[in-house]
Amino acid sequence: MRTYILQRFLQMIIVMVVVMLVSFIIVELPPGDFLTTLREQLTDQNVDPKVIDSTVEMYRARYGLGENWFIRFGKWAWSLMKGDMGYSMQHNRPASELMGERLSLTIWISIATLIFMFVVSVPIGMLSAIKQYSAWDHSFTFLALLGVSVPSFITALVFLLLSVTLLGATTVAGLFSPEYVTAEWSWAKFVDMLKHVWIILFIVGLGDTASTIRVMRARMLDTLGEPYIDTARMKGLSGAKIYFRHALRVAINPIISSIGLRFPQIISGSTIVAIVLTLPLIGPLLLEALLGEDVYLACSILVVLTLALVIGNFLADLALAWLDPRIRFES
Amino acid sequence: MNTAPDSDKVLEIRDLQISFSSIAGTTRAVNGVSLDVRSGEIVGLVGESGCGKSVTIRSIVGLVPSPPALFEAGEIWLRTRRGMTETLSLHKNMKALRQIRGRDVSMIFQEPMRSVHPMMTIGKQITEGILEHEVVDPAEAYERTVEMLDLVGLPNPAAQMNRYAHELSGGMRQRALIALALVCHPQLLLADEPTTALDVTIQAQILELIRDLRERMSMSVLLITHNMGVVANLADRISVMYLGKIMETGTVEEIFKEPAHPYTQGLLASMPSLFSQPKTHLQSLRGVVPELAMVPKGCVFADRCPYVMPKCDETPPVVELRADHSAACWLYADGGETQGSEVAETAMPALSDEGARADPLQPVDVAPLSSSEPTSEGALGRPSENDVAQLQIENVALHYPILRGLLRRQVGTVRAVDGVDLTIRRGETLGLVGESGCGKTSVGRLVARLVEPTAGRIRFGADGGLEEITHISQKEMKRVRRAMGMVFQDPLSSLNARMNIRNIVGEPLMLHQVARGRAVDDRVGELLEMVGLRAAHQSRFPHAFSGGQRQRIAIARALATEPSFLVADEPVSALDVSVQAQILNLLLTLQQRLNLSMLFIAHDIAVVRHVSDRIAVMYLGKIVELGEAREICVRPVHPYTEALLASIPLPMPGLETLREMPKGDLPDPANPPTGCRFHTRCPYSQPICEEEEPPLRHIAGDADHFGACHFQDELYLEGVEEIGEIQGSAAAKAGGK
Ligand SMILES: Nc1ncnc2c1ncn2[C@@H]1O[C@H](COP(=O)(O)OP(=O)(O)O)[C@@H](O)[C@H]1O
Ligand code: SF4
Ligand code: SF4
Ligand SMILES: [Mg+2]
Repeated sequence: MRTYILQRFLQMIIVMVVVMLVSFIIVELPPGDFLTTLREQLTDQNVDPKVIDSTVEMYRARYGLGENWFIRFGKWAWSLMKGDMGYSMQHNRPASELMGERLSLTIWISIATLIFMFVVSVPIGMLSAIKQYSAWDHSFTFLALLGVSVPSFITALVFLLLSVTLLGATTVAGLFSPEYVTAEWSWAKFVDMLKHVWIILFIVGLGDTASTIRVMRARMLDTLGEPYIDTARMKGLSGAKIYFRHALRVAINPIISSIGLRFPQIISGSTIVAIVLTLPLIGPLLLEALLGEDVYLACSILVVLTLALVIGNFLADLALAWLDPRIRFES
Repeated sequence: MNTAPDSDKVLEIRDLQISFSSIAGTTRAVNGVSLDVRSGEIVGLVGESGCGKSVTIRSIVGLVPSPPALFEAGEIWLRTRRGMTETLSLHKNMKALRQIRGRDVSMIFQEPMRSVHPMMTIGKQITEGILEHEVVDPAEAYERTVEMLDLVGLPNPAAQMNRYAHELSGGMRQRALIALALVCHPQLLLADEPTTALDVTIQAQILELIRDLRERMSMSVLLITHNMGVVANLADRISVMYLGKIMETGTVEEIFKEPAHPYTQGLLASMPSLFSQPKTHLQSLRGVVPELAMVPKGCVFADRCPYVMPKCDETPPVVELRADHSAACWLYADGGETQGSEVAETAMPALSDEGARADPLQPVDVAPLSSSEPTSEGALGRPSENDVAQLQIENVALHYPILRGLLRRQVGTVRAVDGVDLTIRRGETLGLVGESGCGKTSVGRLVARLVEPTAGRIRFGADGGLEEITHISQKEMKRVRRAMGMVFQDPLSSLNARMNIRNIVGEPLMLHQVARGRAVDDRVGELLEMVGLRAAHQSRFPHAFSGGQRQRIAIARALATEPSFLVADEPVSALDVSVQAQILNLLLTLQQRLNLSMLFIAHDIAVVRHVSDRIAVMYLGKIVELGEAREICVRPVHPYTEALLASIPLPMPGLETLREMPKGDLPDPANPPTGCRFHTRCPYSQPICEEEEPPLRHIAGDADHFGACHFQDELYLEGVEEIGEIQGSAAAKAGGK
């Protein structure tokens, strides 16, 4: 067990280092010197030459520009770890300022979407399998198929349309009602967000929920056909005990192990929805950065998202090991 | 109707009819089965796969999902703690059914590997059953579970409580499952092929355990199997089932001594037993079990029955031949007018008069596979006079590294083959036998150079003298392979599903540029006819064929380049008895006709004995005994050979062996015992056995018989008597009755 955790942990570190290296190479790739560009930009904006000099000097020191590449990488990585995300050329602001709230909102929404997905799809998938070929099963199989095949931005547009035409709403888009958008965080703002967020969870999570329903149903059917379920039945156990105690823990395994992989899907899914619904998430910022060749910003976002991803994966691995003795004993 | 049976019966099934509905239509899987089990009795339900055995016993406890099943008629009476209960009517009453399951009747299944929950400890799984049915505190349930694990013979039962399925071997899992089934003391145990997935030695242990527990727990057992040998030693009565109907029911003695129904006779004759005449055709049943939709009207066995007559278009009556012996066959019914023992008495001799055909012990010619096949006389394919070696392997070893961890470090070595010498003469069949995991397949793969030997020397004579092939290049090996065919256990996975038969069988021809274009078609057609298939089937795909037919295709492919040598790795283990007999017959015929030499690998020593001239017994990577096939079975010199022989269930009731069974499981091949590798399981082990490894050497006074036991010249081991003797003893038994 301990070696298993250690192994996974090491894997996590290795993935992180590789992603950072790649990001670093991308950062370094564009022709032209970052400092020259920076100086030009600041000059264009008629900034005081003294301030320009000191700013440029500060970045030179911080990123070890002009030094050996691995020193540069080390300094870059170190500053990232300290939370300094670099400087956005496009916005003329430190990247961390830009990312700040968007990042935490994105992570919260992703986690909420994951939970939403689980809470909705696991019971539905399970019940569909238990009541195979029932009306319940048929309707959810159909709905799930629909959910998988309709792209989320279409769902988002349909929602927009419906709420505007049917409800006469003016504020479906966005995460907050207009009066709260710029307001400080408060209880009222939080409540306001909750009112809006479920639509987003629904739209972003729909595709994943639908596909998870399908996976869950198939896995549950497979598991219920396993001989050890017959063994459990022959003990005289009730249906509930067989389904929850014996079948669920086996059937849910691949869903848990796929959590780590779902995270990037949710981010990319939410990006499209965020663009349609103008939500302050990180996805659109990343897209913008990529389009505008804003390398520091783009790479910082990538690194942070990767970090979230590997941590998610690591947690999923821990959960799996806790669930499944075969994994625990493997090493 | 609807009256409870007498109290002496634990189970009575009356006229059960079950159909399955699907888009393709409705098929009746169980068609009027009647069956009973009395107190303390072990009843065997025997028949080929797909005959409805599992559906029948699973319906007793409501384990047949409905839909798609339709229970059309019948009653199932079960003795429960509340008296006789009709369980078929309880199928909708889950609560009542649950109270019966595990408490009044329990079940064990075919695949112990998959029947234990993979994520729950053994202890928890068993106590769960107790707590479901009885009001006991957990501590007591724990105690009882440990006791039960001890009773089923698991070593160190308290430690087993916290173990998981993957930590137990197949045999141990089946023991744990038996403990689980019996922990609430049910009166009836249903066992669905409980030993089919296990090795022969482990099978023998589990059968012994069931027999023992029946006494100790005073319960009854209904045992399903397709292996006549299994029930011979275990059951008191047998019902033979075919295509949803009971063909014959009787006491075990009657069924084996005087099998009445042609299907029973066929099943018995299909089994290569340790008494059959080696290298002769088995009298196999014709054809295969038809699809349920294609079942003949009238007698369902009509299309395979050698005695079929016009009357068989009508459903035959169940004829009481004696008290406790009945058969559903027109041979015994006098036009349905008079029934009963008189008819039976007169009919029986009539059947026996047909002579050899009806006697399962007599070798008989089989129905020809194709018209061109020569009929054989006497033993086939003896090694040819010119005693030339075709294959010689010397001190060959194959070691697999065990890799672990992120960096795939080598943490150990599995010595799959560890210094083996063998010679196969031209025209000879050498049988290689041993439990699974002992290295048989590895030897086969080494010989065909599918793996690189770790050490040793392999020489093979393609057409002329022996040439060294140990390390020759793949290109040179291609030339050698032309003279070397291979057949594997699982015919489906060894045939490319996306290729049609013409390309599968013709591939070697094109690869070796033996033929091309039209010539391939012709040759493939020839090959298919040679193995008993139709030449016209060339364009079909493997999925269109049954298991036995696929194995025929695999054989045709192996023989395409007219090799002189064939490696057959468990070619019949995955097949039903009647098909197994057909394939063995085919191999024997082809071997004689093409003068093949053969390395025949199998875990069943009876099968190996039947086709081999000589037998090599393998244990944990070493040959422990080598000699002439019959000699080895009659006078084994190595205790492991004796154990293998003792483990084969004999299709002769009453002839159970009194020899000691090998204890425990096969040790971990990565960490074999010191000294004699068999000492951990050997009943004759002495202190020296743990220290010194006995070499393979001559038996005193026999230059062709080798053994690797320290005491081979002193021990008196028991083999299996020869045919003459066995008939004598069977007659003596009959006289004694
Ligand atoms: N759930 C099911 N749905 C449809 N057909 C089934 C089902 N279970 C069994 N059958 C059919 O019933 C027949 C008898 O099967 P089975 O009882 O498993 O035979 P056996 O145990 O003798 O090998 C087979 O033809 C099989 O295909
Ligand atoms: S009834 Fe006819 S076909 Fe059926 S087993 Fe008897 S003789 Fe053969
Ligand atoms: S050498 Fe000893 S342990 Fe090995 S088989 Fe002979 S008696 Fe048994
Ligand atoms: Mg079965």
